[in-house]
Formats: sequence, C-alpha cells, structure tokens
Amino acid sequence: MESQIHKIHQQLVNKEITCTSLVQEKLNLLKANTNNTVNTLLDTLALDLAAKVDAKIANGETIGLLEGIPFGIKDVYMVQGTYTTASSDLLKNYKSAYTATAIQKLLDAGAIPLVKENCDSFGHGSSSENTIFGAVKNAINPDLVGGGSSGGSAVNVAKDYTVFSIGGDTGGSVRQPAGYNHVYGLKPTYGRISRYGLMAYASSTDCVGPIAKSIEDIRIVLNVMSGKDAKDQTTYASAEIKEASISNSNGIKTIGYFKNFVESDAIDPKIKADFLATIEKIKAKGIEVKELDFFKSDILVSTYYTLAMAETASNLSRLDGSNYGNRIEDKNLKESYAVTRSENFSEETKRRIVGGNQVLSQGFSDEIYLKGLALRDAISENFENDFKEVDIILSPVTPSTPPKIGDSLKDPHAMYLSDAYTVGFSLGQLPTLTAPQGTETGVQITAAKNNDELVLKFANFLKDTI
Amino acid sequence: MSKIMTVDVLSSIKGAQPSEAVNKLFEVIKNAQPTNNNSFNINHNNNVSLNDLRDDVVIESSALEKQIIIENFPKEKKGYLVVSKVIEE
Repeated sequence: MESQIHKIHQQLVNKEITCTSLVQEKLNLLKANTNNTVNTLLDTLALDLAAKVDAKIANGETIGLLEGIPFGIKDVYMVQGTYTTASSDLLKNYKSAYTATAIQKLLDAGAIPLVKENCDSFGHGSSSENTIFGAVKNAINPDLVGGGSSGGSAVNVAKDYTVFSIGGDTGGSVRQPAGYNHVYGLKPTYGRISRYGLMAYASSTDCVGPIAKSIEDIRIVLNVMSGKDAKDQTTYASAEIKEASISNSNGIKTIGYFKNFVESDAIDPKIKADFLATIEKIKAKGIEVKELDFFKSDILVSTYYTLAMAETASNLSRLDGSNYGNRIEDKNLKESYAVTRSENFSEETKRRIVGGNQVLSQGFSDEIYLKGLALRDAISENFENDFKEVDIILSPVTPSTPPKIGDSLKDPHAMYLSDAYTVGFSLGQLPTLTAPQGTETGVQITAAKNNDELVLKFANFLKDTI
Repeated sequence: MSKIMTVDVLSSIKGAQPSEAVNKLFEVIKNAQPTNNNSFNINHNNNVSLNDLRDDVVIESSALEKQIIIENFPKEKKGYLVVSKVIEE
C-alpha cells in the first residue's frame, strides 16, 4: 500500500538516508518556501531529535515506524517551549507551557516536529488569509488561497515539506484545505482524538485531524493519536484500525449522496459534473447509490456558525492580557481588557466574538441559539436515519474551486457559505475524509459515528475505482 | 439588578458592532423550522458518566511548566508579576 511513512522508514532502516539529512532537507525547504506556511521553525529541536534517531540506527537498535518521520503542526497546538500564536497578534509571543496530548503521542512514537504552521487566526477563516504571517498560498496555484483554516498544514504536505501535518477541523478546516491542495485530510469522529492542548475554537465540534498524501499514512497517524484521555472527557476508547481491514471494500453495499448539494445553484458546473461522473463509476462497480434528502445549505451554514460563534465567544473570553498575551495597559482593568482585545484580535475574530455574544444575550438566545441547538439535533437525527439506509455518504468538499487571494476577505458572508458541504458533518460529529479525487477539490467520504475504519476502507476502494 | 449591556461591553471590544454578514446568518435561523424544538440534548450529548470521572487529585506542574507560565506573564517589576489596575467603581 502506498505510504510515505513506510518508504522513509525503510530508507532509514536500510541506511540509504540519515534522519539528520532528511530533517535538514525539509527544514531548508520550509525556510525557503514562498507559500507563507511557516509561523515558527523548530529547527534546533528537530535536528537534536534526528541525531538521536541516527545514533539509534548506528547502534543497531530497532526503530519504530514513526521514529524519525518529520511532521508539521498547525499553530494552535501546544508544544512545550515553542511559540503557539494561533496566527494572532494577541499571542504572537506566547510560549506553550505544556504539550497537547495528540502531539505528545506522536513525539512518544518518535515523530519529529519541524514547524508550527500558518493558519487562520484561532481557526477563524476558510482561506488562511486571516493571519499575521501573510496569506497562505495554494500549493498548486500560488495566486489562489491555501484554504483554511489549516492552510499551512495542507500546503506543506502537498509540497512535501512535511510527511504529514496535524491540522484542526471545527467546520471543515482540515477537509477543505486538503481538497484545495489535492491531499488527504481526515476529520475523525468527535472524541476519537483528545483535544487537550488544542486551542479551543468551538469545543463541541473541534477535532484533531491528520493531513497526508496517502490513506495508509492517515491510518498510521490516526491510530497513534486516538484514545481516551482523562484530560479531555469527551474522548472515548477506540480499537486500532488494521491495514488489512481497510484494504478491500467488503461490506460496502450502498452509498448515498445529498441531492440538494448537487442541485444547488451555488455549485460550480464542473464540480457538479465531475461529482456525478464519480457516482456513475461507483455504480458501475455494483454499489447501490441512493439520493438522500438533507437540510438546505443556508440552514447548515447558519446553524454551524451560530453555535460556533457562541462557543468561540465563550472560549476566547479568557484572552484578556491579564495572565498572558500582548497586554495593553489602560486606566483600569476593564479598559485594559477592552483595549487589549480591540487592538489584538483580527476583524474576523471580533466579528465572531460579537456574533457569539449577540446570540447568547437575553432576548436572542431563545430565538437563535436554542433554535440552533434544536436544528443541530434535527441534523444529527437526519444522519442517524441516513446511516440506516446507506453505509457511506459521498459529497463534494466545496461548491467552488479555491478563490483568489484577497477575495474572501472582501465578502465574509460568501466565505461562510463556501463551508456549506463541510459543516453538516461537523455538527453530526461524524468521521469524514477528504480524498483528492472525483472533483477539482476532492470528495468527502463520511460514515456513521465511530466508523472511521469504514471511511478509510471506502477511500481505498475509491482510489482503485477512479 | 438587570442592566442593558451592548455587544461591545459584553465582548470587551471597543466600538464593536453587530455585522451584516453575521446577521444574515441569524435571519436564516429565525426563519427556520426545526422539526422538534424540545429535542436538544436528548440523544446527542457527550456527557461523561459519573463512574468515569477523572480522579480528583492535584497534579503538580513541572518546574519547566511553571517557568514558562511566568515567562508568559505580560509584566514584571523587581521580581513581582504586575497586574492591571483594579476597577475603581
């Protein structure tokens, strides 16, 4: 099975390359890159760790599969002693005091962190333009956005600057940039991977998600990061996904797709045609395909953003400059809070905080927030019913191809609507993978909750089918 | 005592105003018809069971963690961490 990780592991074991040269080569590429993917290079740490791996190999010791494999980390994860800026002015000098569970598990397995990656500030964006480090440029066409919010991570993988990267997905932030840069990106079932040490955006949909060039690499990294964690009580224990169990499509008999996604006026005609052609190819393999009814895109987007803004307004209320962050002093504590937040948050972040406080306010909460929660339940129920009928739901990742750099910032409402196909699966807390196939921005493969294995299995089938 | 607070005060962001882009999203929710208004948190919660709560123990931070927390503090004077002036009202 195709895998960058297995390939590099063999090269290290066979002494065809040294870990130090591998890491140095990737660091050089990251340093010289013009796609604005880097917030901080972890060069000293990475080279120290690489030297240890080389010493182990020289001593004839066995190394683990992930040992010496260089990877990238979206700049919203805590890694002790490194700058963790969330691409924001407020935290531009903030150092992590501890390490996120998901990242610690990768470090324990011997993977080597190279870079804290550029992204939309606090995950607030779909283009990685809302950042103090300069807009991330698309890996395929640098005039276009890298996608977001995990844009730097997807571009680094696409350009081979990292072997895999760890993004964060709240409403599509791993899947959409993966689609825009033609790589794989997984949003696992909510709770499969601990969120401890991931800066909170919307806690009820925040997920840790791997981005890589092959399904096998996604599987390897997912297995390492998964598991129950006392530090995140929404986590659950999950079984390891074995390579053999995803290598064939046995058990997948029926798939479905949302008719209204494809019949929408907003979808690019080429994406629509390519998606329907993919459906035909799947049918030709003897799999039954059902058309499914689903909520209108504007309801999905509005429900998601209402809840996400409410949650981010609460989560970001701690960022006031009192204990950390770029404090700006004023005449008293209240004024210091207000000036610190006004000067240090981006326009998009402020828009979302204000929106969140609006919906949580007396008079608005019944009409908007509580109704949003009820809609979310109706959406989840819809999914539960769908998965009684089909094994997999296939969907385009985005209605359109990546916009030009600068366009999303001009029209935030249009940017919100561009998340139409990803946010529903986030609200349902379902496992969803972007596969770089089927349309210009890929397809999303979704299964029922906790069935991440089936998603990877179908991805392998799709890879061999189209 | 109830007091009307504007969004700029609620958000601690000077001059903050509701935005048109976001209000458009809220209008959609106002006009939507959920199938059942009372259903939330019935089937889809992530609550942890009482038997599964983590141990209620104090975990001492490492020396490095403490040092970084102090380093992150915005202001220091003569070895003391300086807080903003308290509210005088």
